[in-house]
Amino acid sequence: MSVVAQMRVLIVDDTSTSRMLLRDGLEALGVRNIFFASDGEQAVQFMMKTPAHLVISDFNMPKLDGLGLLRAIRGYAPTKRVPFIMLTGRDDRALLENAIKLGVNNYLTKPFTVAALKKALEAIIGRLS
Amino acid sequence: MTPKSDRPRRIHVIQGQYKVSDDPDAVLATVLGSCVAACLRDSEAGVGGMNHFLLPGDHGASHNGEAERYGVHLMELLVNGLLKSGARRERLEGKLFGGAKMMEGLSDIGAKNAAFAKHFLNNEGIRIVAEHLGGTHGRRVEYCPVSGRARQSLLSGQMTVTLPQPASVPKLPAAGTVELF
Repeated sequence: MSVVAQMRVLIVDDTSTSRMLLRDGLEALGVRNIFFASDGEQAVQFMMKTPAHLVISDFNMPKLDGLGLLRAIRGYAPTKRVPFIMLTGRDDRALLENAIKLGVNNYLTKPFTVAALKKALEAIIGRLS
Repeated sequence: MTPKSDRPRRIHVIQGQYKVSDDPDAVLATVLGSCVAACLRDSEAGVGGMNHFLLPGDHGASHNGEAERYGVHLMELLVNGLLKSGARRERLEGKLFGGAKMMEGLSDIGAKNAAFAKHFLNNEGIRIVAEHLGGTHGRRVEYCPVSGRARQSLLSGQMTVTLPQPASVPKLPAAGTVELF
């Protein structure tokens, strides 16, 4: 079984339609184990119990936003090195700078294409067939 | 208390944009063909907003859900703008306008826009309190973001959609300004 089919990916977004679209995109790339959280707090709970191999998170969310989630994941030893892709808006330069300082691995600007998602995924796990 | 001005403050919303306001004198205005405008409001927070979107057509963009992702992005910008201004997601209510079939013989992109907007609001649990979608003519729409009152005028010709309305209300003129909701 390929790496991509075995990896566990956590999608974090407060808009359910966005979660579904991202799931569809990941499934088209061969990801099979996809989990969901609708805000940063839920995502932290999930990561403490059963860490995913990759987190793809929106920035704007209630309770705990994407930066807060990234900080929490980087500050907790078992999840410290889990790759993190941030979903951002077009003019979120300040957010990106903060995310880079906190150790984000990659970012995707909304609305993104499946090709862009594939590229971001490949930058983390290597070339997909 | 802020003194109320005599004239409404008109804010135009063009394609690809969204505007949010908590000004009781503001009127969000747009002109729609096959585009759709979603008007969302939290009456308790006293804030509302409008977007104006057209999903990309069939030339490749509809593959892999890309047209839908674009639409979701524009809806999310409006919702996030409202949340930043104090609205709560669970209190949002929506009105939808537009999605006309403007050109005979071409694919009905207006219907796709309208179906997408309804699907999104249903999916996100946002109650649709009024909608005026479809038909074959453009619309000019005005929306008061605080009161939630909406007004539309058809741009020309016969109206092809029928509005549910009480029997006592006279029939709508073929073109002209009518307060709907």
